[in-house]
Amino acid sequence: MAKFMFLHRSGGPCAFEQSPEEMQQAMQAMGRWMEDGLKAGWLLDTGDGLKADGKVVHADNTVTDGPFAESKELVGGYCMVEAADLEGAVELAKAMPQTGGAIEVRELAGHSMD
Amino acid sequence: MNPEVTSDGPEQLVEHFFRHESAKLIAVLARAFGVRHLDLIEDKTQEALITAMETWGRHGIPSNPSGWIYRVARNRVLDVLRREKIHQRAMAWTQGNEQYIVSLADQWIADDQVPDSLLRMMFVCCHPVLDRRSQIALTLKILCGFSLSEIARGLLISNEAAKKRVQRAKKALAEEQIKPELPPADELQQRLSAVQEVLYLMFNEGYSATQGHEPLRDDICEEAARLCHLLCGHESFGTPETKALLALMLAHSARLGARVDSEGATILLADQDRSLWDRGLVRAADDWLERSKTDHPSRFHYEAAIALTHCFAPTLEQTRWDRIVFFYDRLLQLHPSPLYRLNRAIARAESGDVDQALEELESLRGRQDMSSYFLLSCALGRLHELRDDSRKAVDAYTAALSGALAEHERALLERRISQLRGAQTDGRSFDATEELK
Repeated sequence: MAKFMFLHRSGGPCAFEQSPEEMQQAMQAMGRWMEDGLKAGWLLDTGDGLKADGKVVHADNTVTDGPFAESKELVGGYCMVEAADLEGAVELAKAMPQTGGAIEVRELAGHSMD
Repeated sequence: MNPEVTSDGPEQLVEHFFRHESAKLIAVLARAFGVRHLDLIEDKTQEALITAMETWGRHGIPSNPSGWIYRVARNRVLDVLRREKIHQRAMAWTQGNEQYIVSLADQWIADDQVPDSLLRMMFVCCHPVLDRRSQIALTLKILCGFSLSEIARGLLISNEAAKKRVQRAKKALAEEQIKPELPPADELQQRLSAVQEVLYLMFNEGYSATQGHEPLRDDICEEAARLCHLLCGHESFGTPETKALLALMLAHSARLGARVDSEGATILLADQDRSLWDRGLVRAADDWLERSKTDHPSRFHYEAAIALTHCFAPTLEQTRWDRIVFFYDRLLQLHPSPLYRLNRAIARAESGDVDQALEELESLRGRQDMSSYFLLSCALGRLHELRDDSRKAVDAYTAALSGALAEHERALLERRISQLRGAQTDGRSFDATEELK
């Protein structure tokens, strides 16, 4: 089994077109996905959302406000899953309720493992 | 993780929680910070809901979900007001300091104060500076938490038109510096009538028959009834008319579930499975009509009584048409609408007096204010059916087809014509005006 990080890239301004009703439905679907994952064991960490503003520390230790990426590329949250391979992880990502953004599926390189 | 968070899954939330929470937050925050900040307040409420969506989906529902969203929205509004330094002006306008305003809002969000804020917003959204269509769109946006595209879908207009109506309304409110105040005693009757009218029209928008099943339209009916119920609970606004309006909405709502078949096609009153009518809603409607008794019944009273008469009839044939004719007589005394006359003629014909009904319909023909010849032709068709004259019925329905029709109306008529042409009449009736008005 391999470990994967799902990075949720926000959908940009179009997410704001969502109605409260649609948001509630998306949230409930997300909750079901998380619950299924925790029960089945393939969801290692439900992760968290990330606030939009932060700081960027550069190589020379200068600090700027940011990240100021294009809002549609901004990472808005993450979670950790376990799957047999990349294809399996992609299937799990497909089942994850989307709210207008994209999910980036990245396998952990395992460098930190003993 | 927030210590408030419990292990409750997101399934625990009541239906439409976000929608109603949105209305509540906007009403309370606009009352506190001023209607002129409506756009900002809507944005921040939306953001608070997005934050809730992202957090609760992962970690479960906090023990006080309403309070959680409220604090997020309130703080974000405050952040912007402070940052943009428009804060001073905002405060001057409400003649208080920031802490005072926040403490008021905090107090209003407490459950027993929320209805008052919602009622104030209702009078803002139905303010006489706005035209009717803007009032309806704005009410759906602000008080029912509908998105612009939901409003467009619900009202069968384009997204662009929905956006325009809402923007126009907000601009007018800002220009006229409308405040979230309840109407003073001398304006109460007039302002209340406007709110009732908006809710009535909103309900009709949701109720009017359409091709295909669009749950949003049922939601519009439900929301109109919810807001009307809120009005009923207020000592000044819960007048006999308001209660009768609620009775009317509930009586019609009882039949909502029986109006569409599994393929989404409209089912006419005559063909509806009456066992699908919601008896609980019928009882509630009857109860509210009872409570609405007054020496001066309004059109809502008579319309509710007509709707209830249908609800209580075990079959179309056993309908108390005589009572329905009587109620239309009274309605016509209050408001001489050709549509009421048309419906009275049909009720008369159903009760057996076809000739007099025909006379009445003929007299309506050619009248300037009989705007819908389509309905008139449909009614004529039905009358000829009742006289077992299927050739004339087909002629009338064919005439109805010549107008500009919605797709579902055309389909209904064509179906009926082919039935009549085919195996003579099969005994089923076609009361188009009941469903297509």
